[in-house]
Amino acid sequence: MPDTAPLPLDPRAVRLRAEAGSRDDAIRQCGQALLAVGAVDESYIDTMIDRERSISTYVGEGVAIPHGTLAGKDAVHHDAISVLRFPAGVDWDGFPVTLCIGIAARGDGHVRLLSELAQILLDPERAEALREADDVGLVVRLLQPETGQDAEPPEGGPSTREETPE
Amino acid sequence: MPSIDSKDVKKIVVACDAGMGSSVMLASQLRKALSGLSIEVKHTPVNAIPADADIVVCHAGLAARAKATAPDKVLVPFQVFIGDPAVTRLIATMKNGGTVDA
Repeated sequence: MPDTAPLPLDPRAVRLRAEAGSRDDAIRQCGQALLAVGAVDESYIDTMIDRERSISTYVGEGVAIPHGTLAGKDAVHHDAISVLRFPAGVDWDGFPVTLCIGIAARGDGHVRLLSELAQILLDPERAEALREADDVGLVVRLLQPETGQDAEPPEGGPSTREETPE
Repeated sequence: MPSIDSKDVKKIVVACDAGMGSSVMLASQLRKALSGLSIEVKHTPVNAIPADADIVVCHAGLAARAKATAPDKVLVPFQVFIGDPAVTRLIATMKNGGTVDA
């Protein structure tokens, strides 16, 4: 099993023009993106829905952070983050959500990114910039500034500006 | 009802169901706000609150579970993740001194 990934946000798990008909649909898409980068088993996605039903993961500023339950941790292979942007918005129990940060974690590989997110959400201007970012490289730089500044793209250069491949 | 004076607080635990998402974010905010004071801020699942926690911060929806796991701890429930008045009050008490009660 791979160790905790140093960079939990894989650009392949960023989808900036997603559409969802409901909150649960949005959560499943976040889970599918985590599945697509090999971070979780499919069973994890149902625990994300379970978790949402017990307590909302809406964190304010149009952002939700769906993730699984404690029981779901067994279905996590490595720490990972997915970012899905829903420009048309999703009704999240009455709150309009435009950005979902899907989380899979068994270690602390995602902690720095969530700390950064918390700082961003405390500042309405930065929160707006994150909600409106429609470029994968920009999202990665906003959430993982320490990697963006060094601008040394990993193998294959996925952090360069490019459209979501779909 | 448990209570604690701010100067006796060494460890604050932010608890949520999985210790994976919301508790991580709130713990990082608290850690930043309280940096400079010698208070450790940890995030854990609600069923694994460590025995040496002085204050437990958790979502109001998990308060009953937190109480069951750690009945003798001062519990600070919150509703919203960003700028909840209960959390703001806790930070002010830690900085300025005073008593925190459940």
